[in-house]
Amino acid sequence: MLRTWKRAALGGLAALGLAVTAQAQTQPRNQITIMREIDSDRYDPHRSTALAGGEVLTMLSDTLVSMDFDMRTIQPGLAARWDVSPDGLTYTFHLRTDVTFCDGKPFTAEDMAFSLNRWIGRTTPRVVSPVAWRAGNVKEIRATGPHTLVYELNEPFGELLSQLTLFFGSALDPAAVERLGDNFGVQGFNGTGPYCWGSWTPRNEMVLTRHPTYRWGPPSLENRGPAHVERIVWRVIPEAAARVAALQANQADVTNYIPEAFWDAIRRVPTVTISQQPNYFWDFFMGFKVDKPVVSDVAIRRAVHQAVNREGLVRAVWSGHAEVARNIVNPRAADYDAQSDAMVPAFDQAAARRTLDEAGWRMGTDGVRVKDGQRATFLLYGINTLANQRSGEIIQQALRQVGIEMRIQLFDATVAWGRLATQEFDAFFLSYPYVSATDALSLYWHSRNRPTPNRMNWANPQTDAWLEGARRAIDPAERATLAANIQRQLAQEAPWLTLARSQMLVFAGPRVTGARAHGLYGIGIYKGLDLRVR
Amino acid sequence: MSAVIAPPPSDDPSAEGRGGLNPPASQVAPRRPSPIRMLMRDTGGAISLFFVLLIIAAALLAPWLAPRDPFETDLMAIMQPPSAEYWFGTDGQGRDILARMLYGLRVTLGMGLASLIAGGVLGALIGFLAAFYRRVDGLLMRLMDILLSFPAILFGLALAAIFGPGLTSVIIALSIATVPLMARIVRSSALVVMGLDYIEAARAIGMSDARLITRHLAPNCLSAIFVFSTLRLGQVILLGSALSFLGLGAQPPLAELGAMAAQGRNFLFIAPHISVIPSLGIFVIVLAFNLLGDALRDALDPRLRI
Amino acid sequence: MLRHAMQRIGLAIPVLFGVLLIGFLLMQVVPTDPATVRAGPQATAEIVAAIRTELGLDQPIWVQFGIYLGRLAQGDLGVSIINNVPVTQELGATIGPTLELMFAALLWSIPAGIFLGTIAAYWRGSLLDKFIMAISVAGVSVPVFFLGLVLIWFVGFQWQLLPFTGRGGPLWSMDGIRALILPAVTLGGVLVGPVARMTRTAVVDTLSADHVRTARAKGLAEHLVVLRHALRNALIPVVTLIGLQIGFLLGGAVVTETIFSWPGVGRLAVGAILSADFPMAQGTIIVLSAGFILINLTVDLLYAVLDPRVRQS
Repeated sequence: MLRTWKRAALGGLAALGLAVTAQAQTQPRNQITIMREIDSDRYDPHRSTALAGGEVLTMLSDTLVSMDFDMRTIQPGLAARWDVSPDGLTYTFHLRTDVTFCDGKPFTAEDMAFSLNRWIGRTTPRVVSPVAWRAGNVKEIRATGPHTLVYELNEPFGELLSQLTLFFGSALDPAAVERLGDNFGVQGFNGTGPYCWGSWTPRNEMVLTRHPTYRWGPPSLENRGPAHVERIVWRVIPEAAARVAALQANQADVTNYIPEAFWDAIRRVPTVTISQQPNYFWDFFMGFKVDKPVVSDVAIRRAVHQAVNREGLVRAVWSGHAEVARNIVNPRAADYDAQSDAMVPAFDQAAARRTLDEAGWRMGTDGVRVKDGQRATFLLYGINTLANQRSGEIIQQALRQVGIEMRIQLFDATVAWGRLATQEFDAFFLSYPYVSATDALSLYWHSRNRPTPNRMNWANPQTDAWLEGARRAIDPAERATLAANIQRQLAQEAPWLTLARSQMLVFAGPRVTGARAHGLYGIGIYKGLDLRVR
Repeated sequence: MSAVIAPPPSDDPSAEGRGGLNPPASQVAPRRPSPIRMLMRDTGGAISLFFVLLIIAAALLAPWLAPRDPFETDLMAIMQPPSAEYWFGTDGQGRDILARMLYGLRVTLGMGLASLIAGGVLGALIGFLAAFYRRVDGLLMRLMDILLSFPAILFGLALAAIFGPGLTSVIIALSIATVPLMARIVRSSALVVMGLDYIEAARAIGMSDARLITRHLAPNCLSAIFVFSTLRLGQVILLGSALSFLGLGAQPPLAELGAMAAQGRNFLFIAPHISVIPSLGIFVIVLAFNLLGDALRDALDPRLRI
Repeated sequence: MLRHAMQRIGLAIPVLFGVLLIGFLLMQVVPTDPATVRAGPQATAEIVAAIRTELGLDQPIWVQFGIYLGRLAQGDLGVSIINNVPVTQELGATIGPTLELMFAALLWSIPAGIFLGTIAAYWRGSLLDKFIMAISVAGVSVPVFFLGLVLIWFVGFQWQLLPFTGRGGPLWSMDGIRALILPAVTLGGVLVGPVARMTRTAVVDTLSADHVRTARAKGLAEHLVVLRHALRNALIPVVTLIGLQIGFLLGGAVVTETIFSWPGVGRLAVGAILSADFPMAQGTIIVLSAGFILINLTVDLLYAVLDPRVRQS
């Protein structure tokens, strides 16, 4: 009797196992699953600056102008064309007339004016976007006709059009914003994008459905609309290894969140296609608060530059799949200055020791240098990511060898931003996307941007003057000269150690075509109009 | 199936009730041959004792045994599999895993011992008090029941929520979780002794309570305490490393076996040894303590139900 | 019997109260002001003050505790600092997957443990017995994450047999079951050992009991003796053990959920603690504790029903 029992049980298990493993393809036909590591706190372009928000928002809505894959050319978006006044102060956008929101309501210049004004905190109830400065020094944004928008500035802003390609300038439906109130972008949305809000389960998945009447996609994409796929599922899978396996097992189709360590292995998988964006500007860096003890000494900061083997760091942490950096700005970005690259202190541990010796930092008994009773120790804050953990431990060890102690404290992403806004620390790890040299420099180095994002507390009247000049400059050559001045100044003062320039790769499984890496503000798949199920 | 096989005779007393100890019906165990000799007679016991001693020695001698500095990063040797040069391979930062494990052993064992001692001493005290002063017994044991209602992991989560993740939170949580277990065991053992005539006699001749507890009660509970502590150490290490694995315990760059496994998990498919070797390490340590605990029980007092 | 039940329930109530008190105190010591959180980052001082009054935060602490209990009774555990989602809503979404996982783990590991324990007891002292007991000691010594990582590496990654990337769908769908297998095997894996061990001890005891001897003497088939007489009586302590192991299981579930990206309460709790989302952390801890107390109470009462000694007292 026991034996029959056993046999039955075994048979049952085997049958279950067969049935369970037989079904390899698990995704619905016209659905594409995109994987990522973290979710956004909300999907409101003016209340969140998270990349995780931006990825979805570029699908949910559109911007006035769009960015081509070369990261330089501005293409039409919701605006079919635009004029700029000779003084560079007034932009007139002529909007497309065929655009509708997801709920079918026609899109007008009023809606666009509302959205842009909400970005810069000029609507009620007032929303203050942390990145309102990206919209320039605005005098007024108003609709002068049903499809004409006038964007007036107080001072010229050469970067305006490229800033307007970012998802902060997304078109929103004012009625939906009002109706949903605090829950806008949490419980619903209404945009003009190629996909519409389906459902959101935070930290799990975001489901988008096709916007069936969409026909106004950016010219840089092959498909202008409507989208080929019916549903896009943005799935949060926090484990890197799980994302790799899910891609190989066809449980998900597209992702740009594969750690560099896996790239070599995944290149050998024949079913996975890879798209790389060469014009990708996302740098990892370590910044110093220049007014805090120890790190206020330029000798310490230069010695840190000399002590850290950036090449080794890239090899270790990014598995060699990042560019080794010197200057603050990527060589392929507009207004990059080659000469300042040579001015950034190069890796040379002996030179680091010399720099410290010359500056009067004497080796103490515990292996940490001392000067005027002050130990060469500083505290570093950062977000608790694998890259930061690993870079931190490597840099800590490198600095120990030259007699500098670096203490590390990493915080969960949700807490870190708050802690990084304080003055509790001396140095920090961050990474950021940028569009051009001027964009990168004005974000971090203007004294007005203290305490964030200018966490270095860099307050230099000369830098401010150059920055303002570059921002206003209409002549590209003049702007490049001013940007170069700043790059040289910063190379000399060493308040910022660029660790690596990461690369953008988008991986796609065998079911999918059209997954081309874009990389604007770090977004892998831009709009997702070209995505198609084979 | 044949009916010929006769059921083996049982040497185990009656099935016991819920949790804790069944006070042996008989009196204190008669003197047996030396426990150590009893332990060594059992192959499993001898092997586990050997392993436990080896583990402790490795932790104590880490600075001398470690082939390299556990923090030294060799950027030319990232994620190297085990080899003649790196016996256990290197991790994602090019650090020697063997060296990190040796130092990690200190953290892991230290964490376990600290929680065991803190929770055990408090628990034993409560157990003695409950057994000795019958008036407070009910109250104390109800309190212990309440503490026992919560799994250790919940203490871990709650303390990490209050004090923030870190080794201290883990140690406090595991100590709290150990208190009621130790209290129950000590109380049961002590109650058996309390029922004996000579305690009455000692009381009659006016021996002080404190003296009674230290001279008569405690020594007779030692074997139970010893067996329980050995087994508990394994469990505490298992729990502590799980909390560290979740990121609620030891924080990097500190080497702790659970934290090492957690960091290595990110490279599971490229360099499985980074997470598998420290995990295996935890397994071996806990297994050694569990086997030693079992063997100790068999050697010291086979009727103990722990 | 009734007295026993009343006693147990009487004990559970102060415990539950204690949990709520600790949950309340947790919110008192953390460096976050719930009014500011609820008001949102753009609120003015007046709005915060108004919310403070509305929430009763200007009242003495014991009044606040009363208000807090009242809100709890209405199922209001506050809102997440991170995304303003009500804690109860998140808990509602995650409790299902956790129960699913724990139930699936119990479903296979308990029968497996009882089966192994019974055969080990029957052939006591044999090589098989030693082997099963060795597995069982290994089972209580193995870190859950080790088991999970090994299964992911082989079954999920190398052989690509089963998914390990989170919940696949509702339980009645093939995807749902497929996705559940590896987490359930991992979680149940740490339970087989203790159950087998306990069953063995209990069955060894009952095999030598009088009624079993009588049954055997009457010439009852051996497997019936084992099943009807020995095992049935041995089940009482085993049921108790399962109750005690729920806590153990809960610990395992937290780790398992993390490794397998399983959207359960445990992962929610760990995420909330790491991101210092205090209302969420508090909510998850309260719900996990309350659930645990409830399970313990149920097992206690069940035990009383099963065990004639308690039933008669």
